[in-house]
Amino acid sequence: MSTISSGELRREEAEKVENIDYKMVTFSLAGKDYGIDIMKVKEISKAKRFTFVPNAEPFVRGVYNLRGDIISMIDLRIMFNLPAAKQGEQSFEDMIILRLDNFLIGVIVDSIDKVVGINSETIQPPHPIFGDINIKFIKGVVENEGRLYLILDVERILDDHTEDKTSSPAPKLVREPRGGAEREKAEAERAGEVDYSFVIETLATFLGFYVTDHNRRWVKDRFDRWKQIRGENGKEVQLQEEQDAREFLSSFFSAYNQRFWGEDYRDAFKALFSDFDHEGNFLVWNPGCGPGYETYSLAVALKELYPDVHLKVWAHDQDLMNISTAPNLVFQEPDLPEYMLDYSSEGKNGLQFSKEIRDAILFEYHNVLHSNPFPEVDVIVSRDLLSFLKEAEQEALVAEFSEKLKPGGVLVVGDHEEIKSPDFESISSGTLRAYRKR
Amino acid sequence: MRVEYINPFVEAAFNVLREVLDDEVKRGELYLKSTSQPVLGVAVIVGLTGDVEGRVLFDMKRDTALAIASEMNGEELATMDDLAKATISELANMITGQAVTKLHDLGFKFDLTPPAIITGENMEVSNTGVEALIVPVELKSGKLEINVAVRERT
Repeated sequence: MSTISSGELRREEAEKVENIDYKMVTFSLAGKDYGIDIMKVKEISKAKRFTFVPNAEPFVRGVYNLRGDIISMIDLRIMFNLPAAKQGEQSFEDMIILRLDNFLIGVIVDSIDKVVGINSETIQPPHPIFGDINIKFIKGVVENEGRLYLILDVERILDDHTEDKTSSPAPKLVREPRGGAEREKAEAERAGEVDYSFVIETLATFLGFYVTDHNRRWVKDRFDRWKQIRGENGKEVQLQEEQDAREFLSSFFSAYNQRFWGEDYRDAFKALFSDFDHEGNFLVWNPGCGPGYETYSLAVALKELYPDVHLKVWAHDQDLMNISTAPNLVFQEPDLPEYMLDYSSEGKNGLQFSKEIRDAILFEYHNVLHSNPFPEVDVIVSRDLLSFLKEAEQEALVAEFSEKLKPGGVLVVGDHEEIKSPDFESISSGTLRAYRKR
Repeated sequence: MRVEYINPFVEAAFNVLREVLDDEVKRGELYLKSTSQPVLGVAVIVGLTGDVEGRVLFDMKRDTALAIASEMNGEELATMDDLAKATISELANMITGQAVTKLHDLGFKFDLTPPAIITGENMEVSNTGVEALIVPVELKSGKLEINVAVRERT
């Protein structure tokens, strides 16, 4: 009777896309979208005034001094006979620096868009009717968020032409671009902006970390320090691989991430409830609980505070591997802070939490963006979860927090996250960041 | 969905399928879904009650259903007749039954309802308010999707 709605199909499609194993830098040429495999891209930047090389092919714009490396610049628009907007000498142009087998080469494009992650299975072979660019230069076509990207096979395109250029002893003949300190500075500032937006893009594609009002303050600080540290070590500011992105985020995570809370953190948590009188049921929601250390820590802390209440914790995560061990978490004594010892007992393979604590917690494999079928709760602990959702999802989840929390209830977020919503007032304690629902 | 419930369903499905089909059975990546989704052509529903409320849905293409039914009966079935339908219902019953037994051993009390089989083109199933765990199973004769939607009684 009813057929599959187009929304349904899109969602199916989205699921396929979620399995991201291929990333590309996207840009536009003459109004069309193109992509280049990110593994081939060394960096992106803006530049102007390339040093002209006589007798070169028309698509060679010249050579450029990139922090001491002399690289050839190729204008893809001229190469593909596409209309190129005539740029003045003084205006910056977007360029992508590519790292091919053993040399660097720069290509000039109309404008650089962003980094897009896709599933390589969704790449389709090119069709002969793509007239603009010779089909042998196109690796495939892929659709992402309603836009069609042609993926260029840069090795094919640039291999023939570049061989002799790179071997020519250009460096000595090239003059330093003139212009003095002022222009350098402006250029660096422009580059800084490009770096920042590129870092944000790469955090999203590599680790699914989305910069929004909830974490922007930390990201900006971190970026400034990062630039300094990387500069001192002579490394690139841009995040070129997942490892870099991980390093960038390493200090983002809250205290006692993936560990039991130490006494200091427990006390800070308890202090949130100093004027909180409670009896009867005490309900807690712990979305993004991971392997459960956080959940057990908060359960023990609340048990200590209110020994007589009926405690119930809903702990959710959509990482099946992580959460599957949580209900029967086994650990060794050295990992456990002393104050928790009373709540654990010797099991077959090590220590386990007492039945009283375990029965209070319900671990569920659950996506918190789906409907959350449980009553209003007194406390929500959601550390470092928001930032790993897309912007619209972050908004939806904050609204859900507000919906699910009783008036006067407490919301705990990550140490480096913040909530800006009229529904919540800040009541942070120690490094712990918390809000009370108005 | 409670973490403890997941394994019994996955294990039961693979034990039973391996046994009755005597063939290689591959597991796809588990995932969660809360939207409505199309039904491939043949669907069997087994209801669950007890500690939880919900249902298990087995979904496959007609051809896959026929291939499974033929294999289980030891004869070639060409149409989705009563015998084929009864066989597929029985398969669903066996898998859910074994899962419920495993859950019982873990201390969860479930009851099941008799299976209902639904066939036809262009159908979709909606889970209003409950998200479903999808266990995709790859068989030689096609794909079988086990869609488990249960929630705790509160």
